[in-house]
Amino acid sequence: MSMLSIWTRGLLKRRVGRLIGAIIGVALTVSLLSSLGSFIADSDAKMTTKAVESIPVDWQILLNPGADLAAVKKAVADTTPYTDMYQVGYADVSGFVATTAGTTQTTGTGKVVGVPSDHRKFMQSEVRSLLGNTEGVLVAQQTAANLHVTVGDTVTVQRVGLPPVDVKIDGVVDLPQADSLFQAVGMPKGTAAQAPPDNVLLIPDQLFHQTFDPQAKNRPDTVKTQLHVKISHPLPSDPSSAYDLVLKMANHVEAGLAGSGVVGDNLGARLDGVRDDAIYSRTVFLFLGLPGAILAMLLTTSIAASGAGRRRQEQALLRTRGATLSQIVALQGAEAILIAIGGIVLGILFAFVTSQSIASIHMVWNGTTILWTVISSLAGLLLSVYSVVYPAWKDAKKSTVADAKTNVGRARKPLWRVMYLDLILLAISALFFWRAASTGYQLVLAPEGVPKTSIHYEQFIAPLGLWVGGALFFLRIWSLLLEQGGNRLSFLFRPLAGGLSHVVSASLSRQRSLIARGLILVALAFSFAVSTSVFNATYNGQARVDAELTNGSDITITGTTTASPDTKIPELKKIPGVKDIQSMQHRFAFVGNDLQDIYGIDAQHVGQVTTMSNSYFGNNNAKQMLSDLAKTTDGVLVSQETITDFQLKPGDLVNLRLQNVKDHQYHVVPFHLVGMVREFPTAPKDSFLIVNSAYIAQQTGSGAAEIVMVRASGNPVDLAKQVEKIASPLTGASVTEVGSVQKTISSSLTAVSLQGLSKLEIGYSILLAAGFTGLILALGLTERRRTFAILSALGGRKKHLGSFIWSEGLLMLVGGAVSGIILGFGIAQMFVKVLTGVFDPPPESLVIPFSYLIVLIITAVLSMIIAVMGIRSISQRQVVKSLRNPNLYF
Amino acid sequence: MTTLVDARDIGCTYDNGSSPIVALESATCQVKPGDRIALVGQSGSGKSTLLQLLGGLETPTKGEIAWPALGDRDDLRPMKVGFVFQMQSLLAPLSVVENVELPLLLAQTNRGQARKTAYEELERIGLRHLADKLPEELSGGQAQRVAFARVMATRPQLILADEPTGQLDHPTAHHLFEVLFEALAGSDTALVVATHDRKVAERFDTLWTMKQGRLEANAS
Repeated sequence: MSMLSIWTRGLLKRRVGRLIGAIIGVALTVSLLSSLGSFIADSDAKMTTKAVESIPVDWQILLNPGADLAAVKKAVADTTPYTDMYQVGYADVSGFVATTAGTTQTTGTGKVVGVPSDHRKFMQSEVRSLLGNTEGVLVAQQTAANLHVTVGDTVTVQRVGLPPVDVKIDGVVDLPQADSLFQAVGMPKGTAAQAPPDNVLLIPDQLFHQTFDPQAKNRPDTVKTQLHVKISHPLPSDPSSAYDLVLKMANHVEAGLAGSGVVGDNLGARLDGVRDDAIYSRTVFLFLGLPGAILAMLLTTSIAASGAGRRRQEQALLRTRGATLSQIVALQGAEAILIAIGGIVLGILFAFVTSQSIASIHMVWNGTTILWTVISSLAGLLLSVYSVVYPAWKDAKKSTVADAKTNVGRARKPLWRVMYLDLILLAISALFFWRAASTGYQLVLAPEGVPKTSIHYEQFIAPLGLWVGGALFFLRIWSLLLEQGGNRLSFLFRPLAGGLSHVVSASLSRQRSLIARGLILVALAFSFAVSTSVFNATYNGQARVDAELTNGSDITITGTTTASPDTKIPELKKIPGVKDIQSMQHRFAFVGNDLQDIYGIDAQHVGQVTTMSNSYFGNNNAKQMLSDLAKTTDGVLVSQETITDFQLKPGDLVNLRLQNVKDHQYHVVPFHLVGMVREFPTAPKDSFLIVNSAYIAQQTGSGAAEIVMVRASGNPVDLAKQVEKIASPLTGASVTEVGSVQKTISSSLTAVSLQGLSKLEIGYSILLAAGFTGLILALGLTERRRTFAILSALGGRKKHLGSFIWSEGLLMLVGGAVSGIILGFGIAQMFVKVLTGVFDPPPESLVIPFSYLIVLIITAVLSMIIAVMGIRSISQRQVVKSLRNPNLYF
Repeated sequence: MTTLVDARDIGCTYDNGSSPIVALESATCQVKPGDRIALVGQSGSGKSTLLQLLGGLETPTKGEIAWPALGDRDDLRPMKVGFVFQMQSLLAPLSVVENVELPLLLAQTNRGQARKTAYEELERIGLRHLADKLPEELSGGQAQRVAFARVMATRPQLILADEPTGQLDHPTAHHLFEVLFEALAGSDTALVVATHDRKVAERFDTLWTMKQGRLEANAS
């Protein structure tokens, strides 16, 4: 039998405890990395899917003047599998004119869009009906307000270079995709997105040709035709690969068009943005998950290092019997391979099970998942080799086995402490944090009118610096406390150690490097658990607030003044699961010549159905601002832009023009400025006004509320279905639920749910905190089992032994937990701040998951109690064995 | 004179699964106050086990053992019986003086008194100047002298030393015993020392010989 197989059999027979410990450490590392890979692959796939879903039209192909439409359609059909392709006309007009109730309104330049009237796809995805029909001549909401027109009114279209034509309005619509609908197709990359036109009319295709074909002949530059295409090709789940494919397809189509048209690649632009988002999110996920993997690695090396004495003894024996360095390394290599194989297999299995069951991650077997599985396996192998073979090789290279020093005594200060590396890292962290606070993650519009991100990766240096620098700083503090605070420690340990307290504190003080190292490992485990749980709780909470800002509340009914949803409130209140209901008026008001959205609210109660974030208001105090508004009957909150444009200050008289229901005319209504509002649920991002609903009702003759917000006590999805049934008789009313809105919010990063990752991390962090507290303590105490045996032999009773072990255990747990919790909150705060731009509105404070933290602390305490009691019991039972064998290990 | 330890046909077998290890086959002996006994025998002959049984660290698996002058097994340490081991037995994280005062503190002695006694014992063995050193800063001989000082500090009635000079060179070992005998001069404290060193053994009044797990003969 070869030496290697004898050795391996011996390991399996007699070192099984330590082997299992190391295998678990490697398995945790592999499993954490592998789960992280699965999560990244899954979230990449979700981001791609959501990007595709969020784009109503994949390509807008602009036909060049003189191009043959049929030939272009054929060229597209020949090169691209598609689900939808329709033609949309765009005509520039000099303006629109309307005369209503004796007054004539004229707008500036505008656009008329020619839509195939039977085209439901276009109407569903790019147009939202507000009033009247969904077919025929439709006027955009803002244009309708500018012209004071509604369904049935006539609008004169002033064509370019031709006589005007009259059209009768069939419906009022909103254009939620105006940015991409009116994009300037073919603009070079890097060009700023073009603002959509203020005045828009949508007319059936036949009428469009009838009206604008003559204009196209006279002024071909003013009439354009686009083909809107939805491609059907299945895309890769990875955003980068999907982007590459879509780009190639678009290029292919363009080549086929041979100069007849230019492709406006909305999908490509969106995927380009998502590609950046995906890289960014990977960085975020890595920052959230990698500390856990690093901790698992530290745990493995700590377990392996605790067998160093045994290893040195064995090496000495092997060397005295003539074993060469390479033979010694080969034997240790066998141990490393055993650990690696066990750890990798167990880790991948564990990752698979936890990802599927706990985190509900859909396993996407693509390049990312395979790459991560390979990376995690390699990490497991390297970790095993580093933990077992490297120390053995280092020891074997030394001239004597006695070179190793104990962890006791007057050790020299480590280099990082002399160089103040901890303070340097903290300063660097503070510097990058300060920079992050002033820049951060920002959303910008691509030329195609789709959102993409502009981010600064160097900001991640801030939390990284805090994690490493903070840990080293705490290590310095605890080392100093243990070195110089002997008397104070003695006082602290008196309840536990009684007359032995000063001996216990002296013992702990002299073992400060060992104790402080263990304490910091516990602190790191706690900081990982706290920072990830607090960040994830804040993130998940804020993603909901973000969606609520868009949707208004859990469920929102949007209707019209004539068919207002507030009439259904008595019925809605009867539905089980409705926690609260509030109505809100949504009208339009002129501020000077600028038409703005105006919202009439019940300032005292609106907060019952929607989150009133402090950041919405200029004074950063929602409660105060809403209270001030409630007290001022004619009060108004206006946007920053309006305050600047009109140089307003609180108390100023603001005359707005509001439409009265009796004569449909706009009349001046005086308001007094109460303050500034930045954002408000359902309101647009730019300019809007918030006033008291009672005052609007009084001044306009109608108290009708166009919006009703419902707060659900349970699942909003189920409740939304019942709300829909009640709201369905209302013409033009739509019901939206917060969860569905979350899918369509602009940033694809916040659209990725961190719930899965949270669950994974929470599980792993509890395992790690328990592992570090119990195992590190147990290993440290086991190394000193002989010390406890001597104490027993000298006559130390159970309580005396306990005073040493409990003091050390409590110091490590309490010191580690306190340091870790402080560090964890600091990192979470910094992480949230660095990612502030991701959230709209930014979080006001950290969300603390108390129940999780309690479970974490209880787990760590139990782990410590088991370790302490186990060691105390073994030390008492095996006094003679421990005394006889100075290198006794389990 | 009351007997300190009275052992009758005691033996000790360690349970090691399928093959139990007989560490001590049989020993019958008595230790009286003031005895100076050297215990000799080959390695593995059971010397250490016998000492551990005499000191109450182990329980015999056969025979009977009693401590008529000392009381129950639980009362033996730290005040009545003191141990000195072959291996370094000072607690590494404690200074020399803290090591010496430790058994007194375990016996609830007042902290000031314990420290005073510890200094006195260190003075007696000539190591007062090393009081604040750590064990790792001592030589092997110094460490064993401190171990004896620690035992002496409790003024025990019986000292059991398991090859205390096993890791020391001859001059150092002899010097250590010089110091020990001087410290015990005129005292009733009994001393049982397991040793390989015949020269050391010759200095004792009584010689016990262990052979293959049996205490063979008591020679004076």
